[in-house]
Amino acid sequence: MNNSAVARRRFPLSIVVLLAAVVILAILPFYIRGYWIRVLTTLFMSAVLAEALNLVVGYAGYAAFGNGVFFGLGAYTTAVLMTRFGWSFFPAMIASCFLAATVAFLLGWPVLRLRGHYFAIATIGINMAVMEIVTYVGITGGGKGISLPLFPGDIVKQGLFFYYGMFILLIISVAITYWIANSRLGYGLRAIKTEPEAAEVMGVNTTLYKVLAWSISAAITGIAGSLNAYWLTFLEPLFVFDIMISVEAFVMVLLGGPATIFGPVIGAFFLKLLSELIWSQFTLIHMGVLGLIIVVITLFLPSGIMGLWRQMTLRWNKANTARTSPGSQ
Amino acid sequence: MDLQVIINGILLGGLYGLAAVGFSLIWGVMNIVDLAQGAYLTLGAYITFWLFKLWGIDPFLTLPVSALILFGLGFLIESQIIKRVLRYGFVMLLVVTYGLNLLLQNAMLVAWSADYRSVTPAYSGAGLNIGGVNIPYIRLALFIAALLLVGLLTIFLNKTRVGNAIRATALNRLAANLVGIRTEFIYALTYSLAAAVVGMAGSLISMVYTVSPNLGGAFMTKIFVVTVLGGFGSLPGAVLGGLILGITEAFTASYIAPGLMNAVSFILLVVILIFRPQGLMGKQFYGA
Repeated sequence: MNNSAVARRRFPLSIVVLLAAVVILAILPFYIRGYWIRVLTTLFMSAVLAEALNLVVGYAGYAAFGNGVFFGLGAYTTAVLMTRFGWSFFPAMIASCFLAATVAFLLGWPVLRLRGHYFAIATIGINMAVMEIVTYVGITGGGKGISLPLFPGDIVKQGLFFYYGMFILLIISVAITYWIANSRLGYGLRAIKTEPEAAEVMGVNTTLYKVLAWSISAAITGIAGSLNAYWLTFLEPLFVFDIMISVEAFVMVLLGGPATIFGPVIGAFFLKLLSELIWSQFTLIHMGVLGLIIVVITLFLPSGIMGLWRQMTLRWNKANTARTSPGSQ
Repeated sequence: MDLQVIINGILLGGLYGLAAVGFSLIWGVMNIVDLAQGAYLTLGAYITFWLFKLWGIDPFLTLPVSALILFGLGFLIESQIIKRVLRYGFVMLLVVTYGLNLLLQNAMLVAWSADYRSVTPAYSGAGLNIGGVNIPYIRLALFIAALLLVGLLTIFLNKTRVGNAIRATALNRLAANLVGIRTEFIYALTYSLAAAVVGMAGSLISMVYTVSPNLGGAFMTKIFVVTVLGGFGSLPGAVLGGLILGITEAFTASYIAPGLMNAVSFILLVVILIFRPQGLMGKQFYGA
């Protein structure tokens, strides 16, 4: 009884906060300088990658350590289609999305049968293999990299385009996560995470569910890669297939709280803003600080910010109940 | 097929095997994929480099120093960090070991810069020539040293009381606890031992590769392939996996394309994982 009452009371508040955040972020570019627009654009991108990874890591419980491969695939598909075949951006972006999803779908059937460490290592292997092949093949420009056509229009317009592009992608990925979390797919995935055999017995088509989750994750990651490629206008295999892309997303998911809808977004904002404000000027120790943060999170905040929040509200509610209804038990 | 290519592959494969043994052991006994192994390997290589550079100590004699320092570091990290994260499951362990790897790698970068350094003892150029096949002494020595170390570790695990305790813990932690094995201590010991072994591998590797903070990262991916090929937890498997990887790489570089060397080994990794995840040698004592 009490729980639902609390939920009913808190529900509109969270909606209000969410809407306010969306509105603020939507009008923010008119009040900030180019530098902060760029920072926020990268921030949205990180949040998108984390949210996409969350589907596989948080909900299905599969440690896709090499999920960045779809980022690179999306980026390179866009680059090759635009420079070699003269496509315009939007068709290239949609093609990138489909290619990433298709690769995940096809690889998913054999690879998602692997569990735990095996899956993690297999995804790392896929990431590295694709990077090596992209470096070797001629059409991608190889190790020298590839330049994309410049965004038409002035630098302000360009900044706004990518800001809103990433922002919309973030909203879409959050919406997809929300939808999945409350759908049959989401319940199936959580069942798979808790007890795969039991899920199978209960009639969950485990392989299909996992493959679907990974493909959706790959599609979102692919679009992010595509946008990023057009934004940077220059790609190198070592950049876009960097394993650090996945690792950072992992940290954001864990920091925010896996298997929550807003956790990865909060984690991404927290980590990126912190990095931008505090240690971005010390590039030499950048990686080390990230490593330290990882260790500290795993030691002291294993269920993430959302987990902490949940614990705190639970305790607060309990204390409140005890205070408001003495003698009711 | 050219004999020289096979010999090159085999000599390199021995080192790969040794480099993967620690990783394989930790995976087999503690069920942890330890991504910090790369950093331990780099540290071992740096220890050899500095001892050689500063005091002119023969690289082979630096092995015990590497082993000792990394044993200590491993013990510290296991007892202070890994132990506390064990209960949060494998995803957290994967991430925390990667974090440790970043931290250590960055510390080495700050301390010793990104310069490429090499260990060049007087005998590093010499070699012997048998029927047109050229075998550098140093590579041969490294190969023998690697096999010796793996052999010693195998004997330790199979013939000593502590070794048996490690294997028992790998089989069933609870049961091992019940018969009086202090499994918490065994975990710390296994981790430190693995760090020591990969540190020694790093020391050996420093004699044929240039040393930089990224050395371990390059080897980490090879360690994956070797471990998966051989089956985790299996020491003979690691050696076999190392040899297969070494030969595959040498073969790809000579006959297909040098640029595809890594691609082929990663594809091999994924294919083996899909079709034979228990590795070529199958499950050994470890990794129940």
